Amino acid sequence: MIALLRMEVGKVARLASTRAALAVLAIFPLLWAYAPGVFDVYGLFLVSGFQVPALSLLSSMEFLMPLLIAIVAAELVGVEVRTGTLPTILLRPVTRSSWLLAKMMVLLVVPFLGMAWFLAASLLAGIPYGFEGFVGGTGLGAGGLAGAGLLTPSAALAEVVRAYLLAALALVPIAMLAVLATVVTMNAASGALATLSVLIVMNLLVIFPGLEPYLLTRHLSAYADPVAGVGWMVALLALYAALFATVAMVLFERKDF
Amino acid sequence: MVGPNGAGKTTLIRLLSGLAFPSEGTVRLLGVDPQVHPEVRRSLGAVVEAPAAFYPWLTGRGNLRLHARLAGGVADGRIDALLAEMELTRDADRRVAVYSLGMRQRLGVAAALLARPRVLLLDEPASGMDPLSLHIVHRALQDAAHSGAAVLLSTHHLDEVVRYGDAVGIMEEGALIDQVDLAARRGRYRVVVDDVAGAMAALEAASWTTSLTQRGGAVLVQLRESGDAARIAPTLVAAGVAVQALSEDVFDLRGYYRDRLQAERDRRREVAQERVAARAVEAALVGDEGAGEEAP
Repeated sequence: MIALLRMEVGKVARLASTRAALAVLAIFPLLWAYAPGVFDVYGLFLVSGFQVPALSLLSSMEFLMPLLIAIVAAELVGVEVRTGTLPTILLRPVTRSSWLLAKMMVLLVVPFLGMAWFLAASLLAGIPYGFEGFVGGTGLGAGGLAGAGLLTPSAALAEVVRAYLLAALALVPIAMLAVLATVVTMNAASGALATLSVLIVMNLLVIFPGLEPYLLTRHLSAYADPVAGVGWMVALLALYAALFATVAMVLFERKDF
Repeated sequence: MVGPNGAGKTTLIRLLSGLAFPSEGTVRLLGVDPQVHPEVRRSLGAVVEAPAAFYPWLTGRGNLRLHARLAGGVADGRIDALLAEMELTRDADRRVAVYSLGMRQRLGVAAALLARPRVLLLDEPASGMDPLSLHIVHRALQDAAHSGAAVLLSTHHLDEVVRYGDAVGIMEEGALIDQVDLAARRGRYRVVVDDVAGAMAALEAASWTTSLTQRGGAVLVQLRESGDAARIAPTLVAAGVAVQALSEDVFDLRGYYRDRLQAERDRRREVAQERVAARAVEAALVGDEGAGEEAP
């Protein structure tokens, strides 16, 4: 298992989609920090560097982050099919479940690492605005960007870190869904597109109000607008992730190569 | 294992190696189902694609190290020895992405041999290989066979099969239609003589022959050891028999394969025609009965 994990860590770092995602996440905050039209179009006036991470997160969790995580997860499985290395590896005394489990374990961490990178890039982009205490909000806590009075740097940082952690957590089931979709289609592009399709359909299910608290897509914005307590959110997301992972594992066990 | 494209050779190898599941029946590798007991693959070396796929961003040596780790580790120096055997030492530290087809194929065979497997399954490992690479691979497979490994090779190189194989199975439409013991047909010589009866008598008395067959004006001599071929002519001359020609009787697998496949296809066609005819008769009978019922 250790050998498989080492192999998968090396692989995810080498994926073209990982590198592209890291580049996008590094550039994206700069748009909020420096794009001249931001103030006119959105009527925003930034007073602190802590507000850049908030704007980056608020504008990316709807589509960009799920897309990036789905592509990376799908490619981590799909690259083995594309390069033909999957049969070669499965000829070794490696069980199919351990092979897929190693990928899933790496993908459990990837959203958190991605979010850490995104947060670092956003904070760097916010340097010109300074990180002192300010009157207003980070956009991720009470009162939104207007805030509820004076916010100390430590309180602002805690709000931002907490939001990024919750956002990363919401991305974990999406990574597992992408693995499942790629196991079904045995193609990275199809797997990523299938994942997005499921998310789009799930988004439409808000027309059934009773379903809303249980929808995975609803929890993509839970970092700023929670449906219920963090415990409930973690349990539900863990259930989704476990469900997708288990189905992927069962299907993969009976695939012919 | 030989057979036309689509005969089922690749499917057989994938089933045996645990990459595919049988729609019915069971698969046993060293006595156990490779799907239920994946640990049996510690004793398996295989090439299921030509060329075998490797991570292009790793070097040849790096890929073998990775396979060694997944195999549970190999003896020190095994990777270097295999790279040398496959004549890849010079390119061992180059990325596989820049390897030629032949180099990747040789690396695939090296990976299959890595853990000193008891069973080697190879699906056309020499497809598109240059003669030198072909020689290197066959030499390595022969060494593995001599050290006790069972080697099952699917190939279209019939001449190579005759030269290196102990037995050959012929497949057609998913079935094994014939098996030939090539080892028993090796060490056989054809002697054209002026006196067949005299030659038969002289050779029958020799302890180094195992069987004699008369074929027209020639005698087919099966030897215990190939090295005894040099004793045939002197023995016959000493018995007063004139030797007109002496050559090794190489089994014509190409011709045998062609004839065997044709016979099998003819047989299947006949069976299909008989079925169609039987169905036609059945349909006619049903029609007659129906017409009889309708009649007043």
